[in-house]
Amino acid sequence: MAFAEADLQTVVGRRFPGGSYTVSPWRAWLLADTVLAEPPSLQDDGEQPAHPLFAWMAATGAMGITWDELFAWFGATAADGPVFGEHETTLHRPLRVGATYRVTGGIESAERKVGRRTGVFDVVGYAMDLHDTDLHDTDLHDTDLHGGGAPVARCWNSIVFPRRDA
Amino acid sequence: MSTPTVEVGTELPPYDVPSVSAEKMKTMAALLSDPTPIHWDVATLRALGMGDRPVNQGPLNMGYVMNAVTAWAGGPQSLRRLRVRFLGTVLAGQSLRVRATVTALREEDGVRLADCDVVLEVEGGDPAVSGTATVVLP
Repeated sequence: MAFAEADLQTVVGRRFPGGSYTVSPWRAWLLADTVLAEPPSLQDDGEQPAHPLFAWMAATGAMGITWDELFAWFGATAADGPVFGEHETTLHRPLRVGATYRVTGGIESAERKVGRRTGVFDVVGYAMDLHDTDLHDTDLHDTDLHGGGAPVARCWNSIVFPRRDA
Repeated sequence: MSTPTVEVGTELPPYDVPSVSAEKMKTMAALLSDPTPIHWDVATLRALGMGDRPVNQGPLNMGYVMNAVTAWAGGPQSLRRLRVRFLGTVLAGQSLRVRATVTALREEDGVRLADCDVVLEVEGGDPAVSGTATVVLP
């Protein structure tokens, strides 16, 4: 059965389970090297900024559901061809190598549109906030992740679902 | 960076990726836990009729843009905001260039900020990513 425009609005406001993400030094080194940036020193015990792409890494890595599960919220599968539309990273403070971030977020908007060439499609906006836990991977315990924590960063994304059967 | 010379219209130094590496895509797939094989399995690409050049991950393309503006502004801690649209694909072996231009200078909570238009171009000039960035000036 086709995913109706009315169904779309029932998903707005739904929250992701969320989770936590640690910018481990090994991850920080490998990501920087992979994205062709200067890796942080593994010999330096002092505070080092992490590559800003870690906002995306943490947000998607600790969303708490898989992409397939997210697609299913909108009656879609990967085979329907959902694509990323836009992305916005906002960093209130720099991300830090070794820090653990608590990730929260959910669906913020959903709108059905009709394109002359593309036909019917839905644009879904979702966002995730990264909260500083003031923890490092060496002293992390599950119970430490329940605090509020000031937002460090926000990742907003839009994803486009083609609706060929609408 | 010589901050006194920054003004609206200033073009940032171009940031080049001489050849997109298929090997880096494999590492990125592992870091992202991304099972999508078009980023690393040539047999899948061929089966899908997509040629034999792996498709670079969108976050990597976005990361190059981050590199371009933060290298200019003084380091990875300088990025305040990046908003982008994904416009096209980038394939292994392609050369890329990030271009950025300052569109506004302002102060917020005592911090000097530069807003920039940014674009990641694939060889030939087609944009793969475009958008805006805000960096903290030293």
